[in-house]
Amino acid sequence: MKKFAAPLVTLLLAVLLGTSFAQDGKTLVIGTVAEASDLDPRITYDVYSYQRMYAIMEPLLVFDTDLSYKPRLATSWEYAADGSSITFDLREGVSFHHGRTFTAEDVKYTFDWMLNPDNPAANPALYEDIEEVVILDPYTVRFDLSGDNSFILNSIARLHIVPADLGENEDFGSNPVGTGPFIFDSWSRDDRMVLLANAEYWGGAPKVERVEFRPIIEDATRLIALEVGELDLYYGQPVRSELDALEADDDIVVQRVNGLGHQYVAMNTEHPALGDVRVRQAISHLLPREAIVERILDGVGTVGTGPISPDAAFFNPDAPTYPYDPERAAELLAEAGIENLSLRLHTNENPIRPQMAEVLQFEAAQIGVEIEVIVEEFGAFIDRLLGSTDYDLYLIGWSGNVDPNYAMYELFHSNGGSNFTAYGNPELDVLLDEGRRLAPNSPESIATYKEAQMVLMNDAPFAFINHSEEVALNRAEILNWEAHPYSSATFQDLHLVEKLD
Amino acid sequence: MGMTGYVLRRFLALVVTLFGVSVIVFLLVHLSPGDPIRIMLGEQARPEDVQRLNDIYGFDQPLAVQYVKWLGAALQGDLGDSIRSGVPVIELVGQRLPATLELAVVSLLLAVGVGIPLGVLAAVTRNSPIDLASMVIALVGVAAPNFWVGLILLSTVAANVGWIPVFGRGPGVMESLGVLVTQFDARPLWDAARHLLLPAIAIGTSIMAIITRMTRSALLEVLGLDYVRTAKAKGVRRMRVVFRHALRNAILPVVTVIGVQFGFLLGGAIVTEVVFAWPGIGRLIVDGISQRDFPVVQGSILLLGVVFVLVNLVVDLSYSFINPRIRYD
Repeated sequence: MKKFAAPLVTLLLAVLLGTSFAQDGKTLVIGTVAEASDLDPRITYDVYSYQRMYAIMEPLLVFDTDLSYKPRLATSWEYAADGSSITFDLREGVSFHHGRTFTAEDVKYTFDWMLNPDNPAANPALYEDIEEVVILDPYTVRFDLSGDNSFILNSIARLHIVPADLGENEDFGSNPVGTGPFIFDSWSRDDRMVLLANAEYWGGAPKVERVEFRPIIEDATRLIALEVGELDLYYGQPVRSELDALEADDDIVVQRVNGLGHQYVAMNTEHPALGDVRVRQAISHLLPREAIVERILDGVGTVGTGPISPDAAFFNPDAPTYPYDPERAAELLAEAGIENLSLRLHTNENPIRPQMAEVLQFEAAQIGVEIEVIVEEFGAFIDRLLGSTDYDLYLIGWSGNVDPNYAMYELFHSNGGSNFTAYGNPELDVLLDEGRRLAPNSPESIATYKEAQMVLMNDAPFAFINHSEEVALNRAEILNWEAHPYSSATFQDLHLVEKLD
Repeated sequence: MGMTGYVLRRFLALVVTLFGVSVIVFLLVHLSPGDPIRIMLGEQARPEDVQRLNDIYGFDQPLAVQYVKWLGAALQGDLGDSIRSGVPVIELVGQRLPATLELAVVSLLLAVGVGIPLGVLAAVTRNSPIDLASMVIALVGVAAPNFWVGLILLSTVAANVGWIPVFGRGPGVMESLGVLVTQFDARPLWDAARHLLLPAIAIGTSIMAIITRMTRSALLEVLGLDYVRTAKAKGVRRMRVVFRHALRNAILPVVTVIGVQFGFLLGGAIVTEVVFAWPGIGRLIVDGISQRDFPVVQGSILLLGVVFVLVNLVVDLSYSFINPRIRYD
């Protein structure tokens, strides 16, 4: 009996502990804040779905981490001299995961689907200036444009190409096929999504064999999982109070990159007092932005200067700003002849926004302006903006500003779809229309948007609070992963990521 | 006959109860502010996009019309599709039910396995330090919220003990048992167990506490009765008196509590499922609520209602097996 005991115990231990010892060094485990809703790029809105799609599928071009264009399924592109079309040369020798070769047919299929009003396309406004997609040969495709929108290239960069022969499959969104570095394997919702390396990827075989996306809603759980090594990458705002400790931890790399969003207080210009530019400027002067970033945002973010990130070439450092100055605010109100001003400020229940609102409320009270803060559930808040004009001030955010047209047109053009402040300035409209005609990133384009910021910031329909900052974490043994300012694209180069043993 | 009639009447009551549940859930979900389309489209929503999606989903129709449509489909087994993912609600719930069930069963086994012995021990050693200690444990267990216990377990145990995972679910328990029986391989079961351990403790603690207190007080009451004294006077051994004579009579209210708690466990582990990233029904409902995914919330709560009512029926029926003097008429 005795002579069996030792091997038996060893065997038992091996059986019991086997799974905890078996560590596959080639699986990259990514923890994210939320589950994806669907992996069909044509109908999906949320960032978490896009993050996964970028590992499986590819657009014609992508944004590099400095927001310059980087070729993907297109190798190059050219605008017609009069700006009426863009012609793309497509990459040859690229295969979809089911083996078929990628051609211009797939590009046309994908965009035609988006342009068909019978389809439930996500964000159709992004593509409405595309009139027709014309195949010139299997590897050349021309986009004819109906309106002036040189920044249509940015919209094109946001859409992943769907294989024409599978696009009508009902389950495409839960069983996607693309040309990307990883092949979709399985998805157990709320638990994990598994992707396998595409050894045939045109950009080079991935350095890990498997990728697992694990949605973990609770920040504290996600953070502990990263600290004990159950996760390799962590996407999503970490608990801010933990940032200092994390930055001091040798096992963890903290990545911080300026984001593409901002938060602001918008002012209804139809309000009798807020119609006066001096009153709007006064309110902007009441925001102690440094203190808000430091205390409310725990240092994650930068002081708000306008709708365009200070990192962008389009940013105008000379446009007026309204630094914290209660005395100047009081003077401006006096000049405008305003007394006993009482305003309502609506915001949503995102925990930091009511805090920001209360700071403004306190500062306004010091100069005799009464602000009532009303915190609404997000859906109700959006209902108010879209369905009524029943608001004086509202505090909210705007995200995804990869270009100045997107950052300004929707919010500030008289015809802007998200212009809820009834603000309009013909001079600004002309500039924003002009910007859409000029070649993106050209000196003329940059000059036009710089001028537009001068006009906008003088009119002060918004009091800008802060620019966003993206924070992402990874284990020290993970190499070549760079957090992206455009958070949807943060896993677009996952094939380059290495995991050390 | 009495039994069959009773069961029939209970089934009739079940239909009425579920109808009530369906109305309440539907109204709660639809009358709370915010609509799913606007939440999906977010801060940058454009009015024409909102209208386009409303036309597709019909959320701007009168509530009564929407309710009748939904109920009509539900009666035919169609709970609709998730707005967010387009997946049928039945499928979403079906995928998560095993995870929630196994967590509920294991939590309950833990709670019963610890709670009843602890309650008996407290009762037979009444007013001793052991009794006091078990009552303190029970009090803390009742007072501490599940999710808080979960977070404490995470940051103390999971963060320091290598083989206990921080989050997620292992292989399914039933599948793992199958592997054990057919292939003599215990690894999947072990993997399932180590994933279950902390969430089950987090959820089971408060139920364990309730069961301990119920067992103690019910047993104390019975131990003071004449027949127990008679048994003792006859010279029946103490353990036999407690377990054969007293506990059997004292256990009925405890069984009731266990039944009700099991019902709550199915839906009530919501926050704990979020803390441990457990892919169960609780998380489905939390996500559904925050995204106003009406069909998901309505469908999963309705199904939970069915399970809750059925579990209570089983508990009521079990009384007669535990105590044959109980009749149903």
